[in-house]
Amino acid sequence: MSWHDLVALTPILILALGSAAILLISAWHHGSRLPQLLGVFLALAAAAAAALLTPPVEQIAGLFSAGLYARFFTVLWSLVAALTLLLSGRYIAEQRFAAGEYTCLVLFSAAGMSLLSAASSFVGLFLGLESFTLVLYILIAFDKQNPAGAEAGLKYLVPGAVATGFLALGIALLYTAAGTFHIPAVMLAIGSGGDMQALGVLGMVMLLVAVSFKVSLAPFHFWTPDVYQGAPAPISGLLSTGSKGAVYAALLTLLAGTQLTGGSLAGIFWGLAALSMVVGTLTALRQSNIKRMLAYSSVVHMGYVLLALLAGSTDGRSAAVFYLVVYTAATLGAFAVITSFASNGHEPQETEDFRGVGFRDPFRCAALAIFLISLAGIPPAAGFVGKFGVFYAAIRADLLALAVIGILSSLVSLFYYLRFVVAMYTTAQRSALVHFGTLAENTVLIICVVATLVLGVFPGRLLDLIARILP
Amino acid sequence: MTAPTTIPWLTVLLVLPLAGAALCLALCRFTRVCRWLAVVVAGAELLLAIWLFATLGGGAGGEWLLYEDASWIGRFGIRYTLGLDGISLLLVLLTAFVQFLGIVVSLERRDHIPAFMAMLLLLESAIIGVFLALDLFLFYLFWEAMLIPMFFMIIIWGRYERRFYAAVKFFLFTLGGSLFLLLGIIGLHLLHAEQSGTVTFSLAALQQVQIPPALAPWLFAAFFIGFAVKVPIVPLHTWLPDAHTEAPTAGSLDLAGLLLKTGMYGLLRITFPLFPEETQAILPPLAIFGLVAIFYAAWIAYAQQDIKRLVAYSSVSHVGFMVLGFAAWNTTAMEGSILQMFNHGISTGALFIMIGMINHRAGTRQMDELGGLWGKTPILSAFFLFFALSSLGLPGLNNFVGEILILIGTFQRWPILAAIAALGVVYAATYMLRLVHGTLWGPEMSAEPWPDMTWREGVVLVPLALLVLWLGLYPATFLEPLREPVQLVLEHRLPLPPLPGGTP
Repeated sequence: MSWHDLVALTPILILALGSAAILLISAWHHGSRLPQLLGVFLALAAAAAAALLTPPVEQIAGLFSAGLYARFFTVLWSLVAALTLLLSGRYIAEQRFAAGEYTCLVLFSAAGMSLLSAASSFVGLFLGLESFTLVLYILIAFDKQNPAGAEAGLKYLVPGAVATGFLALGIALLYTAAGTFHIPAVMLAIGSGGDMQALGVLGMVMLLVAVSFKVSLAPFHFWTPDVYQGAPAPISGLLSTGSKGAVYAALLTLLAGTQLTGGSLAGIFWGLAALSMVVGTLTALRQSNIKRMLAYSSVVHMGYVLLALLAGSTDGRSAAVFYLVVYTAATLGAFAVITSFASNGHEPQETEDFRGVGFRDPFRCAALAIFLISLAGIPPAAGFVGKFGVFYAAIRADLLALAVIGILSSLVSLFYYLRFVVAMYTTAQRSALVHFGTLAENTVLIICVVATLVLGVFPGRLLDLIARILP
Repeated sequence: MTAPTTIPWLTVLLVLPLAGAALCLALCRFTRVCRWLAVVVAGAELLLAIWLFATLGGGAGGEWLLYEDASWIGRFGIRYTLGLDGISLLLVLLTAFVQFLGIVVSLERRDHIPAFMAMLLLLESAIIGVFLALDLFLFYLFWEAMLIPMFFMIIIWGRYERRFYAAVKFFLFTLGGSLFLLLGIIGLHLLHAEQSGTVTFSLAALQQVQIPPALAPWLFAAFFIGFAVKVPIVPLHTWLPDAHTEAPTAGSLDLAGLLLKTGMYGLLRITFPLFPEETQAILPPLAIFGLVAIFYAAWIAYAQQDIKRLVAYSSVSHVGFMVLGFAAWNTTAMEGSILQMFNHGISTGALFIMIGMINHRAGTRQMDELGGLWGKTPILSAFFLFFALSSLGLPGLNNFVGEILILIGTFQRWPILAAIAALGVVYAATYMLRLVHGTLWGPEMSAEPWPDMTWREGVVLVPLALLVLWLGLYPATFLEPLREPVQLVLEHRLPLPPLPGGTP
């Protein structure tokens, strides 16, 4: 690893080394807010470094790319980490979490997600994925008082371990088939046929299984609701945005040079996308717990992104990235509202808890309504442009049946999203269990609301940027 | 093309209510300020609309009266294109007028006024956007954006426990239709991209697409059903009475006065020009649907106990006439239908406003609990009678003009259908007179005296009554701007954009 590589790795180094530094500092500043504020600062510094610093090399040690695409996601995940930390201040104080460890882990997970999004070799992919997955095992079960948290941690650990097994075996098979770890070379080798092609395709399928576990595509989604419900709300937010988005970012790099439609994997993609949209929608319909609803609805959203990837071409890929950004803003925002409502260890999750809150807390409920409307894909929220892009790419790629399934599921989705909006504005009884929120939490909400609305009305800039950076 | 000045008036029309809504939300702690802010903004919008109507009334030689165009989302070829012709001019005027009344009527509300005013203004902006947009993506954006304020108006300010059912039903019905509209828009866009190599959502450009015969019926269905739900054409109407019954007065006013018009406008502006052959093919069944709506809805209206529900069903019946007018496809009937869209907004809107006033005093809308209003509040009752008569089509009042034009036009094409439809007018008389009988006459419901019309109610009702008379006695003012656009609609053409260089 040369000096140039290190310079190119600066944002990740800021996150990873900063994370270690915070762990040390927190030994002396026990119970203070310093580690958390420092964490926010470091995450923002990493985002700035990724955005502004032009790396001197294109490839870092043959493992990670330092291109615009990788930098884009480094910025995104650093910002997600910064927002998560900013959001968690009161929450971790009230739950008596160890602020230093918490901050350190969140930063480290952002480093892992950035590495995964930047992976240009299967080794880098494995490293990135495992580094943030390990961190998430801890973060999900961070609340030691809460038995549901421990259960959630275990429920994430077991499928996670199975997925790791699949991933490792898949990579091994791909290596056997192609003789290299370099992603474009492997994809080329598999695509060009030859004796080892069957082995390579089998490797891809195993890899796809691991990916499906991580982004919770049906039928590999069963861990999602329990984990979302049991994990602390800000961590559920991180889990549902960063960890899934980073895996998709890597999958997109993987598929960059290949034409999926008509290929041997197209059927599997088709089935996964269709099943995710249908199963996610039907299961989300029955949920009266907002975290479980968001979990099942995330299955549907991941189906949309897969649909965009399946559509391929620049249209589909840019639609996928745009969708990820929009989904991240809205989902992070929704979990931010739940976090901000939580008081003294109680998170309002059931529809009952939301009754009448809209009148007491107009701003935060309006924000939640905007996030849910965005997830449902109603203009002028950004989710509409996101879905528009996905369906546009799908129809263009002759995936009409999937587009119709997607449109129907998005129609039905209104029902489960609006249920919570409706509950907030019911006067029948007023939930007194809701905290009034802090400045930091409101800042996070404002950022997410602005992102959701601005991207909904002026998506042009981001769409152009994404089209430029695609691998 | 005579643009008054270089100011982009269409954008002003859109942004003014939007800015008002944002201000209302920002100043949500100052209820009084918000009330008057909303009145001022809606008033300014109304004045602007009247001024545009007064200056732009005449024809424009086949061009848009006002036209604005700018690039928006380059990657998809989406543009910010707005255009105003005689039809949209009339509907913008109606929107500004109805929304101003809605805001004035709602001034006395006590609950969450700033948010309520913001919703009304947002709705106004979205509806005007629908009437102006000429880029299908932009149109769809406004089309969907209308749903959100309406949904919140029903769930937050609605009346009964059933409001959730009504709101969700409203949302699902209309969104269900419009998602297929979206599918159709994308399909047409892709066909255009295939044939000409450029990406665009411009209505005028998409009109040039050669649609493969196998695909045409499907695309037409997508474009037709999306709008038919909103119109509503009869089998798709069931969301409407529920939404009306639960919505607050201003919400019903907007639903009947404006939202239904967006569906018909969509048919006129988008579906008919895009699909000439399919449109011609569907006219006879459309006429039958219109006829069924006239009688079926009138029959159900007659059976209602809730006076608001009665008027809601009468709306569906009136819409049947307008659909019949479209189906007749000649100048007289089409002009009648469009004029009737305006008339219906005025008369039905007035009835909903008055039902709100009665409900405010009596605390009920059930006909068997009401009665004897004439003895208590003679002035208010006179107005109620007046608007009821206008709604049933008394000659000299507004609805008569629209209905007679529709019937004459239909008679030229289908004499028998026109004759049957004329019987529908009798039906309208039966349920309207039952409404009047049940509320105004009969024994008084209670002995305690009620306040008669207040000055604020007068401010709302007198202009409505004057407009009803104006439309009834001298409809030419409103028919004149329609002449040229209606001719274009009948020829499946759109007004032309002004030559490059002429745009402000």
